[in-house]
Parts: sequence; structure tokens; C-alpha cells
Amino acid sequence: MNALGQLAAVVGISLAAAGGTYWIKGPPGRALICDLATLKPGEVCLEQISPDAKVLWVDARLRKDWVKIGLPGSVLWNLDPGEDMQTFEAEVAMRILETPRVIVYCGDENCGLSQQIADKIRGLQLGAEVSVLRGGWRALSEAGRIKDSNPKS
Amino acid sequence: MRIGIFIWLALAVCTQAGGLEFTETLKEVNAGADATLVTTEFSFTNKGDKPASITKSDSGCSCLKAEISGGKLTYAPGESGVVRTTFAMGNFSGTVDKMVALWIDGDPADSPSTRLTVRVHIPVLVGVEPKTVKWDIGAKADPQIIRIQMAEGKPIRVTGVTSSSESFACELKTVEEGKQYDLVVTPRTIDAPGMSVIRIETDCAISRHRIQQAFAVMRKPSPSQLPVKP
Repeated sequence: MNALGQLAAVVGISLAAAGGTYWIKGPPGRALICDLATLKPGEVCLEQISPDAKVLWVDARLRKDWVKIGLPGSVLWNLDPGEDMQTFEAEVAMRILETPRVIVYCGDENCGLSQQIADKIRGLQLGAEVSVLRGGWRALSEAGRIKDSNPKS
Repeated sequence: MRIGIFIWLALAVCTQAGGLEFTETLKEVNAGADATLVTTEFSFTNKGDKPASITKSDSGCSCLKAEISGGKLTYAPGESGVVRTTFAMGNFSGTVDKMVALWIDGDPADSPSTRLTVRVHIPVLVGVEPKTVKWDIGAKADPQIIRIQMAEGKPIRVTGVTSSSESFACELKTVEEGKQYDLVVTPRTIDAPGMSVIRIETDCAISRHRIQQAFAVMRKPSPSQLPVKP
């Protein structure tokens, strides 16, 4: 067998193995996995928060996204220039008095905005326990916590 | 057999080559107090041996726009370009990191291969500290001070203070006109939980710094502060 024949054989065996795995086991899992060991300070995994826990959820996404499909009971706080920061501050401050456990989420686990909003909420010095949700909105959606979403295994 | 392995390895290497290389992926900018937009440029070169295309960019925030060399998305080997980011400062304050994700040829949809970070330092013209003053129900209603400190430079005066609740009295004292003020907050009652939003208006020429807020809170004592029964 010449070199090209050997290469073709290797490629063929690899493809057959991959196809077989796909056929038997299905497509690769793309569900978000939150690894406790890799959490940054101030971050939490959704699995750590009981669905019944009394939490003030703060949505750091754009207003249109929050209005369209936000977590029920959440409040909005983003840093868009068109928004009124004083209103956000006052709203969250009022709610923290009743619910001093605050978790901030944004649309993408890499958006970084959650951390800035969390810092602003901590800066209110109201004694709230403020965390950022690893995985953001996607984690909530995959867990079926967003309206009309279904849990992903 | 050796030739086959060589071809296999060569193909594997080719899939890793042909990327865009950025001179910097983090840029720090000191924004002016009155700036509304901050523009930053990230230069890149295609160091690979085949054309490379930027297929998608996402800043994750409507406050940050990314423009790639006037819309040119495909770069021949050796060709250079620029990603120009424009950050609308809006209501941001302090140090802000904003990121642009770039997807280049074949990047998985959920994993861009390049992330560019713009770190903007925004001056605080009107500082309020502490942001919140607190009392426990039943404790002494001692006055507490919120210090209002203006940044160096042109004087900024406090023009008015309003409290959303009658339960707290606010008195403004000038420490140094245009530079520093003390806001003395005293609860009028100490028998019920409550909160006041204190609005501090200044004559700051830059509108986003003009109004600041502080909070006064009357709260239930935490269990650890309650007297222990003998």
C-alpha cells in the first residue's frame, strides 16, 4: 500500500469511528458546564442557588432583551448611555432592603458587564451579598428558569 | 508509511496556520472628564500563509462599536488592518473593561479565537462617601456624615440636596466651597424600618456627573447585634 493509500485508510477509519460514535451516542453535548473549581471570586454556579432561594436577580443586558425575555421578578441595571443610573440605583437599593442576596447575570458568560454592575451594587454599601452568575442568561435558560425555556441535560 | 505520516502532520499544521496576529489585545485609555466617546485602534497582520477572514465581531454591549478597516474583512498573507473600537462613555465610571470578540475563519460559534480589551479610566468628578448611612431600629439616632469630595480642577458646587423621605433630616455643611462638603444625616424616628434616597445636585458642567445619590437606611438589627437573653 502506498503512502496515499495509507493516509486514505487512516482518514477512513477515523471518519467511521467518529460517525459510529455520533450514531450511537448522539451529537456532542453543548450544555453549559459550571466548574466550581474555576469560579472567579464573586461568581456562583446556578446549581448553587436553590430555585426557591430568595434572590434579587439583576439583569445586566439591554432593556429590549430584559423586556422581551427576562427572568421573572428580576430588575434591570445596565450601563447603556440612554439609561438613568440614578433610577437603577434607587430601584435596586429599595429591593435590597427586602432581599439582600443579589445575583447579576448578563447575556454572555464573557460579556464582563455583570462584574461591573456587581461592583456598583457593592458600592452602594447596603450590606448585600452580591454575586455574578457564571454562564449568565444562557445558564438560566438551559436550566429552564426563563419563561418558555426547557431544561437541557 | 513515513511519507503518509508527514502529509498527515503537514495537513494538521496547516489548519493551525494562517491566523491574524494582533500587536496588542489590551489597550488602556485615560478618558477626559468631558469625553463622550473614546476611540482605540488595534492593529493586526495576517502572519499566516493563506487568506484569513474575520467572519463576525461582537462587543456584547451597545456602548462599544467595532469597525474593521472600513469594512474589509478578508486579508491576504502579510496584509495588515485595524480594528477601531468606539466606546460611548454614557453612564460608566471608574475603570471599565470592555471586550470585543472576533471570530476568524472556522471559529466555533460559541468560542471566538480573539478577544480585544479596551480598559478605560474615567475620572470621578463628584465623589460621595459613604454611599449609604445606616442605623439600627432602637439604637441611638446619632447624626452621620456623608462626605462630598470634588475632583481637582474647576470648582464644583452643591446646589441642592433633597431627601425622598421625611424620616431623615439632611443638613449640608460647606467644608471648602467648590471642593468639599459634608452632608449631615439624622433620623427623625428610630422605631420603624425605612429608607431615603438622598439626591445631591451640583453645578458640574458635565451632565452625567451633575447629580449623585446617597442612601439613608433604618434597618432591623442583625441577629448577632441583638441582646442575648440571660
